[in-house]
Amino acid sequence: MSSRKTRALLGWAYLLPYATLFVLFVLVPIVVAAYLAVMQFDLTSPRSAGFVGFRNFVDAWKDEYLQRAFVVTAKFAAMMVPSLVVTAFALALGLNAMPRGRNTVRALVFLPTMFTVAVTGILWQWFYNLEFGLFNFILRNLGLAPVPWLSDKNIAMPSIVLMSLWWTSGGTAVILLAGLQNIPRMFHEAAALDGADGWRGFWSVTFPLLRPVVLFVVVTNLIGAFQFFPQAQLLTGGGPELATRGVVQYIYETAFNGYRLGYAAAMSWMLAAVVAVFGFLQFWLMRKEAS
Amino acid sequence: MRIRQALYGLLATILAILVVRSGWIGAVRGRPQTEISFWNGFTGPDGRVMLELIRRFNRENPDLKVSMQRIAWGTYYNKLMVAAVNGRGPHVFVIHASALPRMHRAGFLEPMDSLYREGGVPEEDFEPIVLRTTEFDGHRVGVPLDIHPQGLYCNTDMLREAGIVDERGRPKPPTNREEFLRAASLMMHPRGAANPDRYGFALTHWQNNYQSVFPQFGGRYLDERGNADLDNPGNVEALEFLGRLRTEKRLIPPPDNQLGWIGFRQKKVGMVFDGVYMLGDLKRLEGLHYVGAPMPVLGHKPGTMADSHILCMRKGLSERERDGVARFIRFLSENSLDWAEAGQVPARRSVRNTDRFRSMQVQYAFSKQIPYMVYPPRIVPLFEMGLEINLAVERVIRGRMGAKESLRIADENAQKAIDRDRAESQAPGGGR
Repeated sequence: MSSRKTRALLGWAYLLPYATLFVLFVLVPIVVAAYLAVMQFDLTSPRSAGFVGFRNFVDAWKDEYLQRAFVVTAKFAAMMVPSLVVTAFALALGLNAMPRGRNTVRALVFLPTMFTVAVTGILWQWFYNLEFGLFNFILRNLGLAPVPWLSDKNIAMPSIVLMSLWWTSGGTAVILLAGLQNIPRMFHEAAALDGADGWRGFWSVTFPLLRPVVLFVVVTNLIGAFQFFPQAQLLTGGGPELATRGVVQYIYETAFNGYRLGYAAAMSWMLAAVVAVFGFLQFWLMRKEAS
Repeated sequence: MRIRQALYGLLATILAILVVRSGWIGAVRGRPQTEISFWNGFTGPDGRVMLELIRRFNRENPDLKVSMQRIAWGTYYNKLMVAAVNGRGPHVFVIHASALPRMHRAGFLEPMDSLYREGGVPEEDFEPIVLRTTEFDGHRVGVPLDIHPQGLYCNTDMLREAGIVDERGRPKPPTNREEFLRAASLMMHPRGAANPDRYGFALTHWQNNYQSVFPQFGGRYLDERGNADLDNPGNVEALEFLGRLRTEKRLIPPPDNQLGWIGFRQKKVGMVFDGVYMLGDLKRLEGLHYVGAPMPVLGHKPGTMADSHILCMRKGLSERERDGVARFIRFLSENSLDWAEAGQVPARRSVRNTDRFRSMQVQYAFSKQIPYMVYPPRIVPLFEMGLEINLAVERVIRGRMGAKESLRIADENAQKAIDRDRAESQAPGGGR
């Protein structure tokens, strides 16, 4: 066998484990979901399963609960993404400016990202507990009234955002830090010579050079925000009064509490379409940036 | 030399494990062991009681081996449904009576009429209302293991402190509306002063609490034609009553307080409504003194909500497996007095009519409600209806909407779910 063929085979062999899992757990479910989306398929009445064309999509379009869930999801994204970028940027700039101990602090900042969402959720449930939670303990000691972090309709979503920030900003900060460290020193030196220091230097030199990284961070987090589910499921269960029930949770409940797999698949395709828009946006902007 | 010895040892161990696992020993003795898988959601202290029962059954029936898998109720039905619809479900499993319509329509429940006729499970030993939950198309698809009605838990120290005692000085749980309101108020202000951290009564699971109260006001879930009737006058009156406890009388904690069951455990709440199954949680606490009692009559007649764990069998089992499952179900049914210790009321009358059961204070008190308890409606979109009821109660307790309007919205949405389910279940593709 020629060495080219051997290399090609080796390449495929390296890819095989991932490709197998990708096909099994990504590609096959996508195809199955596409099939289910045009079917009436309710696990409780398999005998009534049948092709319904786009009816599931039409029903979903008119579904008030789905509309509400999209609003909740958009609200989460609108709160989460800007605050994440600002927080992560601040952390990255701070880390970048550290002359010593940067690696240790970076590891500490990154630590929460390594927790699973389940661990994070349980931990923050305790923090938020009205009676014996950490936050209300602090408030009480300061002589302030306790806050219903998770049971007030107006506070529940910001509380979830706060938890999500704690959980994810370390990871995003590390990406931004890598971007900051990739900026050649000479740009900063040249700017300093021209008198562009401090904020001026940041806005005129650092930020423009970091734009591709920021773009990547914004779009990937936006896509992630539209998949908002486990945080709310763990902290509020979607309440109070559905104020934190996002699209994915509604899809999950439709599929696994209501057993309406066809309808849930149609809704998941609608969500996928929204996420795809952001994906394409990122692709287009990145290409524009590169050219 | 040592390495060789270790290798021989390892080989011998592997061989021994293989021989034992293969069931060859049993086969040689002429008794091949039949494996029975049993799924349930008993992940709390009740699971330990069930495990003990299974160990006993396995000891007494060496030709059978029952192995139990416990899955939290939150995801239990998803897993059971997906496995069973594909023919890979467990041999025997527990289903709530309220979930039976869904599971039955999915088509994997084996009729169990013969178990009642000749299998040693006497029909007449069950209450008709409980048996009816297992009937579909003229067949029985399960055997009720227990009944778990909602009832009243009272902190006896708080009752005594508030002076709510009988003529012999024993704490006296309230039995009617007047006594209930008085107890709630006195326990909140034990010495005439209000304590912001202390309440006489708190709601726990709003949906369940409300469903335990509305039968007392003549409320119901469905009308005679099986359509949603959540905004009927009885339901409205019941919800108005609960709403007023918060918005006017200020007798229950603010909704954001989250006291509920935790408050009862912490001795900050004097009374709560909850299921008999919560007893397992209370038994673990030290220093909390409590009694169980039937729901006080807050409306015009006694009433409460109940559900049951039903033992069911999967379709498509071999003759030997069916026989093993039948023996196991009969065993659990006959020994449901042990199961009652976990915080349940046995479904069988003969088991309840024993001194040992009467000595179980909470279970016995809750069992007195059997003559008038109400099961959730036998409809497939029960999850959707439950969600609507929960939202309706939440809107009222938070003071955002009146009971009538809130229940009208719930009724409208529940009816939509019922209509959709009817249309979709009738013909392939829905026939709408």
